[in-house]
Amino acid sequence: MDPPILSVKNISRRYCGRIAIENICFDVFRGEVLALLGPNGAGKTTVLRIVSGIARPDNGYVRINGLNPSDPRARSLIGYCPQEPIVYDDLTGLENMLFYAGLYGLSGSEARRRCMNLLEFIGLSDYANRLVKTYSGGMKKRLSFAIALIGDPRLLILDEPTTGMDPQARREIWAKILEIVKEGRAVIVATHYMEEAEQLADRVIIMDRGRIIAEGVPEELKTRYGPRAVILLKILDRHAEVLDALRGIVSEGEILEEDGEIKIHVDDPDEAVPRIVSRLLQEGIKLEMLRVIRPTLEDVFLRLTGRRLSE
Amino acid sequence: MKWPAVKAFMLKNLKLTLRSKADVFWIFAWPTIWLLMTAYIFLPPAVGQPTTLTIGVVNQDSSQLPVNGSMLIQILNASEYHGASLFEIKLYENRSVLIEDIKGGRLDAGILIPENFGKNLIIGQASLRIYIGMRDLQSAQIAEYTLRGFFENLNKGIALRKIDESLRYIKLYALRYMPENFSIPANGNLSWMEFMRRWMLGLASPINASFTSIKPEALADRPSILGWYTFGALGMSMLYSGLMFGSLMAVEERERGTLRRILASPATSTDMLLGKTLAGMIVLGAMAFFMILLGVYLCGARIAWNPLRLEDWIAALMIPLIALLMIGLGMLLSLIARSVKSATNLSVVIGLMLAFTAGIWFPSWWLPSWMQVIGEIFPGTWAIEIARSILVYNAPLSEVALDVVKVVISTAAIYILGILAYRRVLRRYAEA
Repeated sequence: MDPPILSVKNISRRYCGRIAIENICFDVFRGEVLALLGPNGAGKTTVLRIVSGIARPDNGYVRINGLNPSDPRARSLIGYCPQEPIVYDDLTGLENMLFYAGLYGLSGSEARRRCMNLLEFIGLSDYANRLVKTYSGGMKKRLSFAIALIGDPRLLILDEPTTGMDPQARREIWAKILEIVKEGRAVIVATHYMEEAEQLADRVIIMDRGRIIAEGVPEELKTRYGPRAVILLKILDRHAEVLDALRGIVSEGEILEEDGEIKIHVDDPDEAVPRIVSRLLQEGIKLEMLRVIRPTLEDVFLRLTGRRLSE
Repeated sequence: MKWPAVKAFMLKNLKLTLRSKADVFWIFAWPTIWLLMTAYIFLPPAVGQPTTLTIGVVNQDSSQLPVNGSMLIQILNASEYHGASLFEIKLYENRSVLIEDIKGGRLDAGILIPENFGKNLIIGQASLRIYIGMRDLQSAQIAEYTLRGFFENLNKGIALRKIDESLRYIKLYALRYMPENFSIPANGNLSWMEFMRRWMLGLASPINASFTSIKPEALADRPSILGWYTFGALGMSMLYSGLMFGSLMAVEERERGTLRRILASPATSTDMLLGKTLAGMIVLGAMAFFMILLGVYLCGARIAWNPLRLEDWIAALMIPLIALLMIGLGMLLSLIARSVKSATNLSVVIGLMLAFTAGIWFPSWWLPSWMQVIGEIFPGTWAIEIARSILVYNAPLSEVALDVVKVVISTAAIYILGILAYRRVLRRYAEA
């Protein structure tokens, strides 16, 4: 097995006495996408900042290809895309790219060619010479993503890369990330979107309150920590009565109401579905829809923490 | 240090500076306005010319004698100093209107020529009433002493005429009764007539003071004053712009959200520092060049540049040194200025205050003695004074050599302290 491109060993960090992260430990290998999944404040961004060499851990260490991230040679191997926009509004898209290319030692025609290729790759070549202040939020995010690739990184570090993007644009970025991984690069992505982690990640680390609470491939996590199935109900009205009625008959799992839908975690859907339907009929509650779906990482998180990712 | 990274920071900052209307205003437009105002409002082209006093005259002498009030007015009108009229005469009908206009500040002084002025002048002593406008002490002093000087000269001229006339009559009548070669023993071989002439001349003007104009090495004429102020405007702009460049170096990237991305790149903090310092020095250098051209060609400032003269190159060296000094001070300022807004405001306020109190915009001898200390200890003032001394007043190297050494050492020291402050600020932002 190849040595990991990134090794994170027992890093901890406190801010003003408050624990931001504690004993974080993981490796990332070539051709792999690792997702850090957790709600806001879980410590994902702190981990990425330490990995990128921006901040230093109080304890533990990070090695990128065996090098400390404070070493410029280590940072030349990574492409970091922070959550916030990293572009200059008064420069054009191409000028932004050329600036960051310079930071990676690229200049002249080589830099220009690489920048144009990347702008083409993310679909912004037609806007290359427009000032970034005329770009939409999504275009700025795509440009930031292209900037992360400017140094031809072996490890791409993405912090909430699709936050604020519409679903279409989000899928496009996911496709680009998977394309990059096929070239043998490693990607570490911090996200609070369960769907993003499921679509992209080969492995997922679930974080909560600065600690790793679960780690593994998504399917394994769902099997190990999630319910066997999730029953999805849609009813027309009387939500409060329905929830009361269901609590009386479903004891083994969580019941959640979200966007007018009710989700019930169950371990034996074959047994639970008839019970739920007959109870609702008894109560005279009209059912609009009932589906049995596979659990998601969101359900895993809920099982592990008793809270939802978006809380 | 990687040159492509330094160049990337430099080019990026140059582009952003030139595309920011606020930056262009503060760096180029504001000092231009300031210099043009100085050249054409506070130091109008008439500055340096002799003062012409506006004098109101009431002439009550209506006699037709060869010497009368009208003759005095003609003499007043014809009086000149270095080719410029000494007086602009306005005639008044009566004293009360004249006094009203003096009180209203419309006249520098007034002269009342009484009845029989000419007649009294011919036969003995004539009186005149002179009123000095006290609009302010300085103009009153100028008006009074100009008129005193004028009447002293006029008195002397009239006395000489009277002496000539008297001697003519003495010769005509007194010599009938004594020999022409009669001499007074106590006065050597002087004839009696010559003795009388000298004696009467002594009565009219006991001391014959002669005045000679000598041009000083440093001329206080309009072109040299404007040369002085061109460096004042340049220095003032360098002060706040340099402070701004230094104080914004890290905080601007932080507020834009680009700092963390930069720190995650292989570029080092030294690359960023050098790139941004170079960009700041290029902009400030361009601004200085622009200000000097503006001063010389649009305002008429006298700034002499001779590329074959070592001193002139030393004066030119002062420009990057002031830029570096102020950028260094700005980096120190970034320790307390934690947002773009506070860094900008602090830079402008401190820069302008320093310009006004350190002898950069106002000559230090205008300032109270306790304030002059600021200019004496501030290296920016030394640098500006070196450039002024050489390029405006043609000072030799020996006169400025010590100050040049002081400027070089203090700039290096402040920039090094600035680097330490900058690294500390960068670490603080990265860890936040």
